[in-house]
Amino acid sequence: MIDRIMHMFEIVNTEGHGSVWLVLFIGFVFGAIIQWARVDKFEKIAGFAMLEDMTVPKMLFFSIGLASIGLYFMIEAGWAHYHVKPIMLGGIVIGGILFGIAMAIFGKCPGTGPISVAEGRIDVLVGAIGGIFGGLFFTWAYPWFKQIMGPNLGKLTLPGLFEGHAHLVVLIYGIALVVVAFAIPNLEYLDPEDHEDKAEL
Amino acid sequence: MPRKISWFTGGILMALLILFTFSVWGANRPIGASTYVPYFAGVIFGLDPQHYEYMAQIEKPGAWEGVMLIGAFLGGLFMSLFVTKTFRFSVIPHLWKERKNHSVASRLFWSFVSGFVMIVGARLAGGCTSGHFLSGASQIAVSGLIFGGIVMATVIVTGRLFYKKK
Repeated sequence: MIDRIMHMFEIVNTEGHGSVWLVLFIGFVFGAIIQWARVDKFEKIAGFAMLEDMTVPKMLFFSIGLASIGLYFMIEAGWAHYHVKPIMLGGIVIGGILFGIAMAIFGKCPGTGPISVAEGRIDVLVGAIGGIFGGLFFTWAYPWFKQIMGPNLGKLTLPGLFEGHAHLVVLIYGIALVVVAFAIPNLEYLDPEDHEDKAEL
Repeated sequence: MPRKISWFTGGILMALLILFTFSVWGANRPIGASTYVPYFAGVIFGLDPQHYEYMAQIEKPGAWEGVMLIGAFLGGLFMSLFVTKTFRFSVIPHLWKERKNHSVASRLFWSFVSGFVMIVGARLAGGCTSGHFLSGASQIAVSGLIFGGIVMATVIVTGRLFYKKK
């Protein structure tokens, strides 16, 4: 196992997507933002499922709206590239439904889970172990799963579908998401166990 | 330092991190999270990429996300210990007690099952909240938008059916 872990760092070092330190730094900041905004808590994702807390959709829509406009400018300037995932229709529909059910019950996603474990949540650690077994099962059953993941409809983007009006599509999309983020009611479930205060805008 | 930031500040910081990760000065790649789980399963159970097609496929992205998630864990630990000061061992979340039950066995059972299903779902879809929402929807990728719509709807329907009404 030790040499597999060393191998993991080696792959990152030779892959050309940032040094190990840079990737650790990106992860550290990712974890820090999520923990600081407290969106790693059960009350945030499951709270959204119960319509008791709207922090997650507000933050998600807002950051995606801002990032979409920024990213488009960066790609135009040559400072970034598209990395679009293909539309594997069967996989996205079946996977999305399973993922949504699990997310509402678990109150986490794969990104917020480890951050929640880092603040001492034992239930999330048990869920993470469940996830490892889920990953094991998927790897084992992949030859079978592969058959239901298609058809592959290609790597489409919305601006790409409106040839010549790409700028406008990005601008409308980005602004619309920001407006939606503000329009979603500012519901916050205050956890008495954490003695939380409502965060100021 | 404030002990908590709002969705507004959090959203700006997260957008900057997405842009930095995408940029040629950063990782020149999107943020993703769910691939590290089967990758770690492979590391723990010693699955050989030569025998498992999926292991061979995820070797590179899995390693990248594995290192990133180690960083995320440390970032969460640092913040919960020194800034938000929320670190403490706990088993049942407060809202679960309020809307579901007080049973430790029930919470741990559902955590394990939903953790398992979540990873199978994420790998079927080829991404999760990070890959399809944060990175995918920021590129206005149609795959990310379809996934996002289905997940949001399923989350709310499940919330209705699984938890007690207040």
